[in-house]
Amino acid sequence: VLLAAYVGYLGLGAAVLQALERPAEVQAAQHLLREHWELLANHTCLQGPALQRLIEGIIQAYKSGITLQGNTTSLGRWDFSGSFFFSISTITTIGYGNLSPSTATGRIFCIVFALFGIPLNLVLLNEIGQLMLLGVQHCARHLEVVCHWQNKASFLMKTCALVTGLLLFLLLPPLLFSDKEGWSYEEGFYYSFITLSTIGFGDYVIGMNPDRTYPSWYKNVISLWILFGMAWLALVIKFCINILE
Amino acid sequence: LQVLMEAWEKGVNPEGNSTNPSNWDFSNSFFFAGTVVTTIGYGNLSPSTVAGQIFCVFYALFGVPLNLAFLNQLGKALNAHLLTLERWVQKPGRAQVKCQFTILAIFLTTGTLLFLVFPPLVFSYVEGWSYGEGFYFTFITLSTIGFGDYVVGTNPNKHYIPVYRSLTAIWIVFGLAWLALVFNVGADLMERYLQLKWHKSDLSLAEGDTTKLEDEPEQPRIHIPS
Repeated sequence: VLLAAYVGYLGLGAAVLQALERPAEVQAAQHLLREHWELLANHTCLQGPALQRLIEGIIQAYKSGITLQGNTTSLGRWDFSGSFFFSISTITTIGYGNLSPSTATGRIFCIVFALFGIPLNLVLLNEIGQLMLLGVQHCARHLEVVCHWQNKASFLMKTCALVTGLLLFLLLPPLLFSDKEGWSYEEGFYYSFITLSTIGFGDYVIGMNPDRTYPSWYKNVISLWILFGMAWLALVIKFCINILE
Repeated sequence: LQVLMEAWEKGVNPEGNSTNPSNWDFSNSFFFAGTVVTTIGYGNLSPSTVAGQIFCVFYALFGVPLNLAFLNQLGKALNAHLLTLERWVQKPGRAQVKCQFTILAIFLTTGTLLFLVFPPLVFSYVEGWSYGEGFYFTFITLSTIGFGDYVVGTNPNKHYIPVYRSLTAIWIVFGLAWLALVFNVGADLMERYLQLKWHKSDLSLAEGDTTKLEDEPEQPRIHIPS
């Protein structure tokens, strides 16, 4: 039965996403084609194959993480700060992919790094989650003593923790992102959720806009947010699974 | 340049000609849904419309636990089969743990071959990657990191059979289930081995051990992904 539900769920997602995204894709494809032909038509010195090669080169560069929309190509993505953020995205299995090793040695190192880093990350998240749980239970016991409630105290504390976590990790950060990154609130929320669930598409990544200046504490605070947010989300999911069972 | 970037984000591949297969047809959307639910999240393709993004968030909210529960069930079912296999060889105490270790070792080697060593060959053949690149892709996918620098079925110059991506999705699910099972059984065995080491050889322990075999672990021990 679970198998059927699983496959059915995938099919449902596929159908809905297809319906939602296909029209935009078709439109963008037509636009691109028009621009392509217009460019070739207006500039007769430009030839088809050469343009095609340029396009391929652009796509390759884009894939390897170079942003092209400024005057100069932005380099220095593999500086220490960027590499540190990359390490985080690897061992948390978020894996944005906007930055990924292109050398063979880099890739081999990445594999070994992840092999040990992912269990390490899981252990750490588990510990943080346990600490959070202990904190919540402590507060619940405190409430029981002070207000003489029995079961209600623990339930109240859990709901409280859930709401605080929701605010702190999912609802407030998008505001910070809209200020620093210039995204809309919805985009910030989408980014927060995709990051904390470790899906990590990489279509939105913080700190990648070359036209913006970021304060020095920005990436470090975000890293902490990712860590604690993931621990909180993992706890929530564990609770949900327990309730389901 | 701007038009190119925009088109790329919406899922159009500018490298091909105008008769590219869509990236959002049903089979590819199915593959995408799979990468969301397993939290791999390649990102070479991602929803660009606001409605699509919001749908994606709620889809993942229910899909990720569903995926975890499914992998957990699959892992438990396979574990049960392994246990019945172990029961064929009834030996007390230390020897039983050794036997279980051997079975686990065989299971590990078969799984490694099936999910880590063999698929890169298939991928390098179909995609034109080197074996190293295929292995890199396999590892990054099964660990659910999913960078998206390599994704199967995205080369516009190649012709894929229509169900190619769906077959890959099935391989991914089984690979993840195998990994989950490995973690489950490994943790289980480690527990039993430690128990056996702490309490010295004891007949009453042997009985206690067999009852532990039938007990199902209380909490789901699936830890991937998080």
